[in-house]
Amino acid sequence: MRQLSFKVVVSSLVLLSSHYATASPMGFDESYMAMGDFTNNWQELVSNYAVSPRDAFGLSINYMRSDDKRKTRAVEEFNYTRLLKRWNAPHSQTNFWFIGGVGIVQGKDKRPGRDRYFNKVMVTPGVQFDYETTRLYFSTLHRLYRASNINHDFTSVRAGFSFYEADYDQTQPWFILEARNMNGLSEKIEVTPMLRFINSSFFVEVGVNNFHQPRFNFMYIF
Amino acid sequence: MKKLLLVSIFIALFSNAAMATQTIKAKVNGMVCAFCAQGIEKKMRKLSQTQDVYVNLKKRMVAVELKEGETLSNKEVTEIINDAGYDVVSIEVSDESIAQVKSVLEAR
Repeated sequence: MRQLSFKVVVSSLVLLSSHYATASPMGFDESYMAMGDFTNNWQELVSNYAVSPRDAFGLSINYMRSDDKRKTRAVEEFNYTRLLKRWNAPHSQTNFWFIGGVGIVQGKDKRPGRDRYFNKVMVTPGVQFDYETTRLYFSTLHRLYRASNINHDFTSVRAGFSFYEADYDQTQPWFILEARNMNGLSEKIEVTPMLRFINSSFFVEVGVNNFHQPRFNFMYIF
Repeated sequence: MKKLLLVSIFIALFSNAAMATQTIKAKVNGMVCAFCAQGIEKKMRKLSQTQDVYVNLKKRMVAVELKEGETLSNKEVTEIINDAGYDVVSIEVSDESIAQVKSVLEAR
């Protein structure tokens, strides 16, 4: 029974399928990708399917909450990812991506007297730049979360290093440091040191942010 | 009797040489992590001509061993690797098996 529950949970995660936590926010041609990013104020599931080596379409669900817990936003959207440009060098890869979506944001603002609820159409265009070698990683993402009278632009910067070079079929551990902010929901910058483990088609990241909250990310390509 | 044995050995050696293993070794730019390079491996394995595939990130190499009697052009290999998002620097055809390529590269 426990095994079945575990399988159901894993299958659900894979099917629903996070934040663009690695160099590639999509898999190879004709592959599916499932990603998840979970912390107290940010929970995201993303899945996409690569219809070409440069284009992927998918669905995503994103729950965001303000630091004081008075504002919540749930975004359900169709997403599109495009590899705009890639530079391959002997020992590095550099990418420039477009990541965007169109969907519905369901919002709740707690107010004295009467809470405010709303449903609006939201668009979320953004760009990501990343640079990676077998030992170093850097990426930055800026994404607009816009609806009528809503502006929750998201900015993230990540940098890290791997503890050692690994073979293709070995697990490679990394240290990653991320700083991110969601405009309009948090005035603070969330900083999270994480350990990342990459093995072939799967990677996980675990860390604790500067608010002492745990964080878990995963990505799976199949 | 001795003559017969010698002839048999000669035929056996000759047959092995005629059906020698063929492995295509491509040096690839941009292949920095297993997570991203698996696209190349999966596409290569899908080919009907493929016996085995080996990826070495440190040496930036993709090696494809072909089934007996099968061929694969350099152009096809280059196209598959380019489509996966990487650049081919050079291609070499070798008579080593994947096991031999692997043992040589990993011994260095």
